[in-house]
Amino acid sequence: MEATREIYWNVGHGVLVPMYLLALAALGVMAYGFARRLKVYRLGRPLVRTDNLSARIAAALRSSIMQTRVLRVRAPGGVHSLFFWSFLMLFAGTVLVFVQADIAAPLFDKRFLSGNFYRYFSLVLDLAGLLALVMLGALFVRRYLMRPGGLESDRDDAIMHGLLFAIVLSGFIIEGLRMAATELPAGSALANWSPVGLTVAKLFSAASEPSLRMWHAVAWWGHLTLTLGFIVAIPFTKLRHLFAVPANYLLADRGPKGCLSTLDLEDESVESFGAAALGDLSWKDIFDTDACIECKRCQDRCPAHRTEKPLSPMRLVDDLHRVAFADPQQGLAEAAGKDALWSCTTCRACQEICPASVEHVGKIVEMRRNLVLMEGEFPGEEVTAAIDNVEVNGNPLGMAFAARGDWARELGVKTLDEDPDVDVLYFVGCYASFDKRNIRVAKSLIEICRHAGVRIGILGQEEKCCGEPVRKMGNEYLYQMSAAGNIETIKAYGIERVVTSCPHCFNTLNKDYRDLGFDAEVEHYTAFLDRLLREGRLKLKPESFSATYHDSCYLGRYNDLYEAPRNLLGAAGASLREMDASGAESFCCGAGGGRILAEEKLGRRISKERARMAGETGADTLVSNCPFCLTMFEDGVKGASLEEGLSTVDLSEIIASRLTN
Amino acid sequence: MKILVCLKQIPDMESKFRINEEGIWYDEANLAWRINEYDEYAVEQAVQVKEQLGGAEVVALSLGPARVKEAIKKALAMGCDRGVHINDEEGWRRDPFEIASLIAGYAKEEGFDLVFTGMQSQDRGSAQVGVLLAGMLGLPAMTTVVDFALEDGAVRVKRELEGGMKACVKCNLPAVVTCQLGLNTPRYPTLPNIMKAKRKEMQTIEAADLAAAGSRLVTDRLAFPEKKGGGLVLEGEAADLAGKLATILRDKIKVL
Amino acid sequence: MKILLVGEYREGQLQGCTCELLGFARQMKAEPVMFLVGDAADLPAFDGRLYLAEAGRYGEFSPEVHQQLVLEVVEKESPDLVVLSHSSYGWDLAPRLAAALEAAQISEAVAVADGAFEVPACNAKLRRTVRPATARGVVTLQAGAFDPAPAGGTPEVQTVDSAVEAAGAVEFLGYEAAEQAGVDLGKAEVIVSAGRGIGKPENIGMIADLAKALGGEYGASRPVVDAGWADHDRQVGSTGQTVAPRLYMACGISGAVQHLMGMKKSDFIVAVNSDRDAPIGEVADVLVVADLKEFVPAFMTTIQG
Repeated sequence: MEATREIYWNVGHGVLVPMYLLALAALGVMAYGFARRLKVYRLGRPLVRTDNLSARIAAALRSSIMQTRVLRVRAPGGVHSLFFWSFLMLFAGTVLVFVQADIAAPLFDKRFLSGNFYRYFSLVLDLAGLLALVMLGALFVRRYLMRPGGLESDRDDAIMHGLLFAIVLSGFIIEGLRMAATELPAGSALANWSPVGLTVAKLFSAASEPSLRMWHAVAWWGHLTLTLGFIVAIPFTKLRHLFAVPANYLLADRGPKGCLSTLDLEDESVESFGAAALGDLSWKDIFDTDACIECKRCQDRCPAHRTEKPLSPMRLVDDLHRVAFADPQQGLAEAAGKDALWSCTTCRACQEICPASVEHVGKIVEMRRNLVLMEGEFPGEEVTAAIDNVEVNGNPLGMAFAARGDWARELGVKTLDEDPDVDVLYFVGCYASFDKRNIRVAKSLIEICRHAGVRIGILGQEEKCCGEPVRKMGNEYLYQMSAAGNIETIKAYGIERVVTSCPHCFNTLNKDYRDLGFDAEVEHYTAFLDRLLREGRLKLKPESFSATYHDSCYLGRYNDLYEAPRNLLGAAGASLREMDASGAESFCCGAGGGRILAEEKLGRRISKERARMAGETGADTLVSNCPFCLTMFEDGVKGASLEEGLSTVDLSEIIASRLTN
Repeated sequence: MKILVCLKQIPDMESKFRINEEGIWYDEANLAWRINEYDEYAVEQAVQVKEQLGGAEVVALSLGPARVKEAIKKALAMGCDRGVHINDEEGWRRDPFEIASLIAGYAKEEGFDLVFTGMQSQDRGSAQVGVLLAGMLGLPAMTTVVDFALEDGAVRVKRELEGGMKACVKCNLPAVVTCQLGLNTPRYPTLPNIMKAKRKEMQTIEAADLAAAGSRLVTDRLAFPEKKGGGLVLEGEAADLAGKLATILRDKIKVL
Repeated sequence: MKILLVGEYREGQLQGCTCELLGFARQMKAEPVMFLVGDAADLPAFDGRLYLAEAGRYGEFSPEVHQQLVLEVVEKESPDLVVLSHSSYGWDLAPRLAAALEAAQISEAVAVADGAFEVPACNAKLRRTVRPATARGVVTLQAGAFDPAPAGGTPEVQTVDSAVEAAGAVEFLGYEAAEQAGVDLGKAEVIVSAGRGIGKPENIGMIADLAKALGGEYGASRPVVDAGWADHDRQVGSTGQTVAPRLYMACGISGAVQHLMGMKKSDFIVAVNSDRDAPIGEVADVLVVADLKEFVPAFMTTIQG
C-alpha cells in the first residue's frame, strides 16, 4: 500500500468550504483585534524603527527561530524553546497539508505527502506533538505547581495553557481514532511511523467502526473549533506575543546601547518635555507594554526590586499597559508611582534579559524628565542641592570649580591650558577630582601612563561634570549645557583621544555626546590599558592575590567590556573568584541613574547586598572599575561588616602597584 | 499688587578666596557665582504671594556688573515677571547705605506694595540694606522672617529669635520683609520657565544715573583671620590621632 | 569717646548680651551709658547711667518706638558710638538708628582697635577692617565676641518718659516657643556635634555613639538639622541651644559664626575637620585634621579598647 493517508478522510471534502469560511472569519476577528490595538499604539509619538529593514528582518527571524533571548535563562527557556520548535513543526506540517490539499493536488496533480517523505513526515510530527505535550506539561508544573516567587498567573495564562494543551491533545485523539478505524484492523506498517498515534489508537481499539468514525468527526470539528478559537484569542490574550515578540525584535533599538534620546529643548513648538501622559510616550513604548509576557526575568534582576524598593520593571510596564488600554487619561507618574520611578539605577539588567525586547529604562527616564523639566520635582532636597552644585560649580559635590585640578598639582601633571601637547586627554570626572578616595584612582592612572610613556594631560578647572547623573535624573537641560561646555573646551584644544576612569563619563562622552557634535575617540582606562599591555608598552609584574571582580553596569551591560579588565587582572596576578551574578548578569552597586546624588531611604541598601555577594566568594579583594562603585562599596562593605576580610580597590590601583620595567 | 525682590549675586562660599590687589575685597577671578542664599527665600516667597493672589507683578532687582543679570534671570525663571539691573561695574565698593539709596532711587516711583529681601548677604553680612531701604521708602520693615502669611492687606510673620524662640509680628501693606533661611523651600525652575525667563523684560539702569548717597564706611583691609587659636593642630593617620587625642583628654580635662 | 549701649530685654528677662555690651565699653575705656527697654526688677549691675523705658509701656519689641526712644537719649547724651548686640533685636533696630543719625553702621564686630572694627566676611573665612566715615557710628557686636564685664555696681537709673506713641506700624503679637522635644543639651557634660561634614544622615549614629561612649549627648549644626538629619532640639548655635560643657567635640563642622556663638564658651573644644583652615580652628583647643569618617571609628576603638 502506498505510504500516504487520505486528507479529509471521514469528514469529507465537503468540509472545505465551511472550514475556509470559518477560518477566514477567525482571521477576520483576529485582524480586527489587532486593528483595535494598533489604534492604541498610534496614540504614541512617532519613532522610526523601520530603517535598515532587511537587517532588522534577518535579526528578528534569527532571534525568533533560534529563541536566543528566551534561552538566556536555561531551564524555563529551554522548555519554552522546545515547545516552540515542536509547535513550529506541527504548524509546518499543517502548512504542507494545506499546500498539497489546496494547491499542489487540485492545480498540479502533485502529491508529495507520500512514500518515504511521508513516513518521516509522520514520525517527525508525532514526536513533535509528543514533545509539545510534555513541554506544556513542564510549563504547567512550573507555573501552577512549583509557583516560582513573583510569577503571577491570570486568566490569560489559563487560556494559553488550556487551549494549547487541548489543541495538541485533540490532534492526537483524531489521529488515534482514525488509525484505530483504518490502520489497526489492517495491521498497516505505516502505523509504526506514527508511534504516538498508534498508542492512542490502541486505547480505542475496542470501539466499533461507526463509533470511531462518529467520534473522529466530532474530534475533528472540535480540533478545528479550538484552533479557530486560538486564532481569535491571539489579539485578546497573552497569545498576542506570538506576533508581538517577533515584531518587537524587528522594531528593536539598533542604536548604541543605552543612548538616551537627545531632546531639542529649543523647539518652541513643544509644549511639554518628557512623558506625563500616554500621548507623550512613543508608539513603541506602548507596543512594548503589549509585548511584555510577564515572565518576571527583569524583576528578578532589578537591584531596586531585590532590595524591597517599590520598583519592579515588570510592574511598571504593566502599569503603563493599564493606562494605555484601560485608563488613558491617567497620569503616568501617578500610575507607576514616583517612588518607583526614582528608585531606578538605570543598570539595564531588565532590558538585557528581557526575552520580548521591552525597553524599560528609556520610559523611566522620560517620566523623570517630565517631573524635573516641567514640575521642577526631584526625589529629595539633597538631589536639588547636588543639581544646583553642578550648575554653579560644575560638580555635584559642591566643591569650588577652581580647585578641580588641585589633586594633580603635586604630581606635576599639566593642564591643557599649560601644555596642550599631549597624546591623550584624561577626562578625570567629578569624583576622581574631588573625592579623597577616588583621587587615588586618578593618581594611579597618571602613574601608569607615565610608566608606559603616554603623555597625558587634564583639563583641570576647565573640566565640568560630564552631566550623566543629572541627565539620568531627568535634567536634560543642565546635561546639555554641561555637555556643550565640555565639548567646546575639548574641541578648542584639538583633542582627538580621550581616556576616562569613570564608566559613566565614558558612556556619556562616547555615545550621548555624539548627538551634540563630539567626535573624539573615547576609551575607558581598562580598554586603554589592556591595549597598552598587549602592545607591550605596559609591563606588569604579577603578585598573586585572590580577587572578585565587579562588572560595573556602565562598562559591562552598557558597553560589553568584560574581557579587558579580566586580562589586566590576570596579568596582575589575580586568582579570580567570580560572583554568581557577574558579566552581563552583574548586580548593580546602586549608584547609577543619578542615584549617587540621592539618599537611599527605601528598602535595604543595594551596596550592602552586592558587598555580601562579594564576601560570599571568599576572595579578599573586591575590584571595581568605577568611582561610583568604589564609593558605594566602601560603604557597603562596612555596612555588611565585611571590612576585616574584604578590601575594596579600583583596578587602576592594582595595576599601579604591579608596574615593573 | 506690585512686588519687589532685591537680590544679590555672591560667590559660592566653597570658593577658594583670594584678596584683591587693593587689599580691601576678594579677587573676583575664578569664582563661581550664585544668588545669595537668603535672597532665594525672598524670591520664592514673592512668587508664592503672586500665586496666592492669582496675579501680581513681581520685579527682581539686583545691583552690580553685567554678570548679576544671570542671578536676575534665575529669579525670573523661578517666576518673577521682569528684571531690573542697576549696573555698577564696581558694585562691591558701595556700602549698605549707598546700595539702599540706589535701590530706593529706582523703587520710589514704582509704588511697590511689598518688598522682599534676604536678611543679609553671605559675603558681607551687614544685614542693613533691607531695613535702610524700608526707611527710605517710608515703609515699615519686619526682619528675620521664617514664616509669612498675607491676609486682607496685612502681613503676618514670625521672626526667628535666639534660642529657637519665635516672635509673631504683623503690619499692614505696604511693607518690607527681610527673609531668614528656612522661610520656605525655593523651587527649582521648570524648563518652560527657564526658557520664558530668557525673553522677560530686563531693564538696565546705570547706577550713575541714580542719585546715590555718599559712602559712610571706609574699608581698611580684607584679610584671612590670623590663626590666633593657640590650639594644637594634630595631623596624621587616624589611628595615631585617636591615640593622641585620647591621651590629651585623659590628662588635660579628665574626661575618659 | 562717648558710647551709648542699647541693652536687651525679652520675655521678662534681661538678656545676657547686655553684659557683653558693658564689656565692650570697658574695653574701649568708655564710661558706660545704657538705654534699655526693660524692667526695674531686672537691671544690669554696673556703675553708670541707665535710661530705663518700661517694657510694659513701650513693648518688648516695637522697633519704631524703640528707635524714637533711643534717639531721644542720643539727643541728651550725644554719644560718638551707639552700640547694640548683633541679635535679632539689634540687627533690626540698628539700621533704623543709623539712618536717623546719618551714621555709618558696622555690623557684627568681633574686635576693635584704633577706631577700626574687625568684622567677619564670607562665612567667617575672611575678616574685614572697617571704620565709620561719619562723625557718629552705630555698631553691632557679635554675640560672645566681647567678654562680659564683671557684674557689680548699681546703675544710676533715669526713667524714660517720652511723648512718643506707644505703637508703631509693626505690631508685636506674642511669642511662640519652639517645640521642645526633650533633650536639654545645656545639662550635658560632654557634647559631640555633627556638622555637614558627616556626609549623610546614617553617620549621625557614629556621632551619637561616640557621645554616649564619652558619657554625653550628641548635638548638631544648623545645616544638619535643616536637612532633617537631626531634630531641632539637638541644634547648637544662635538659633538653637547655647552650651558650655566640659568637652565639646565638633565633627565636620566648619565653624560658622552662628554655630560658634552657641558653643565657644565650652571648657575644652576639640574640632575634627579635614580642612586645616576651617574657622572652627579659631576656637578649638585641639584641631584634629582628619576625615571624621576615619577618625571617629578609630577614636571609638581607642577609648573602648
